[in-house]
Amino acid sequence: MIARYAVLAMLPVVAFVALTQRRRLAAIIGMGLFSFLLAVAYLQLHAPDVALTEAIIGAALTTAIYVLAIRRTGRLAVVADEAPGLLAREGDRVVGLEHEILERFAKHLGLDLSVELVPYQEVAEQVRRGEADIGAGGLVLPPDVPDLFTRPYLETALFTIGGAETGEGAAPPMVRYDGYFAELEIERLDGAGRPITLDLARFLSVRVPDEAVVRHPERRGYSFVVGQRRSELHTELEAYLDHLRETGELDRLIRRYVV
Amino acid sequence: MRFRVRPLSVLTVVAACAVVAIVLLGYHANRPDEAPYSTYVVRPVEETGAVNRVASIYLNYRLFDSVLEVLVFFVAVLGVRHYLGTRERTAVPSLAESEVVRTSSALLFPLAVLLGVYLAALGHLSPGGGFGAGVIVASGALLVSISLGMDAIERRFSLGTIEWVEQGALFLLLAATLLPLAFGRAALTDVLPKGRTGQVVSGGMIPVYNALVGVKVLAGSWLILRSFVRHRGEI
Repeated sequence: MIARYAVLAMLPVVAFVALTQRRRLAAIIGMGLFSFLLAVAYLQLHAPDVALTEAIIGAALTTAIYVLAIRRTGRLAVVADEAPGLLAREGDRVVGLEHEILERFAKHLGLDLSVELVPYQEVAEQVRRGEADIGAGGLVLPPDVPDLFTRPYLETALFTIGGAETGEGAAPPMVRYDGYFAELEIERLDGAGRPITLDLARFLSVRVPDEAVVRHPERRGYSFVVGQRRSELHTELEAYLDHLRETGELDRLIRRYVV
Repeated sequence: MRFRVRPLSVLTVVAACAVVAIVLLGYHANRPDEAPYSTYVVRPVEETGAVNRVASIYLNYRLFDSVLEVLVFFVAVLGVRHYLGTRERTAVPSLAESEVVRTSSALLFPLAVLLGVYLAALGHLSPGGGFGAGVIVASGALLVSISLGMDAIERRFSLGTIEWVEQGALFLLLAATLLPLAFGRAALTDVLPKGRTGQVVSGGMIPVYNALVGVKVLAGSWLILRSFVRHRGEI
């Protein structure tokens, strides 16, 4: 008798908990738990047939279908190359200022953050093709700002290593290197090979041969990129960054990770 | 999470709580007396030969309802196939994220099949039935495709075969409901002997219907799950 009332009392509690979850996966698991408890309640009321169907359909099949359904929509997919201090591997985790911001943003949206590391030059391309939601990892705005970059959240500067950029006033300086930053071998670029351009965070973490560094005077900033067709996500991310700025949380994070 | 509270929602919740409370109070006040006991507990066993009274109701007295429900399910499968079947992606990788998940999913499949066969075969003796059995085995097949990929299943059972099985089971089910006409009896009645109550071979047509509904629901649920996965291109 007590067990019956305990299960009945837990049903509305579990239902409320499942309804108020922000993370979709947690909400679905809560729903599955509700079905399971309901099956137990049916069993206690001597309705094993109904209990069996509730367990099969509600707790197993429906939960499985919902989990399958959110596998794509329930995560915030980020592509980035490593940028020390901003977004970098530490053991088998990813840490850094940008990672912290994106993790909080994902939580704010009720999504799970997934970070995939790709070469710097492919970040914007992958986001444009819609293979990821957000591009990050020390992205520095080109001078003609495309619409879906966010406003810079942190100032930086650019440094060219291994000879100046070719041509006076030609292509404006941009971060430029091949492959993954973690596999970059700076020493071998001395004199030979193409010059590479790094942003401040990356530049400070590499060991550079002497006399080959040009500092570009332009003021630049780090930002995130969002796909062309995702203007809603762009607005949300911009608003969230504004929120971090206004509350002073962004400054606190910058002091914690970068300075 | 923000909730918008509307007066109608509040009224609905209050009414739902009142109904639940009345049912709960009435459950203890209302002890079954003699007449319903013999009507609902003794008579069905005598008349249909099935120990599971629920099965005797939905596969004998109310077979008409169940046949219509099977048709509803059939239409649901058709709808999913119609709207999702046009744009299918061929190569679906398995959910090869964790070795633990892959191994345990594959291990659960034989258990799911065993449970499904048990529920369908003994649906007239104990709780269970064809519908739950079909869904359990289809869920087991989903576990296999999580583990080995959807192609592992489709190599053995092609789409055409599964569709053929689904429609074949439906046809046999409808034919079985019309079978009594051949013996000069009304359609949707039982023609097989009732057998000895409590034995596996008993209950007249009920085990046959359970088997057919099980096969039909297995094929149908698998077609639905398969369409979802193929349409998205990932499990």
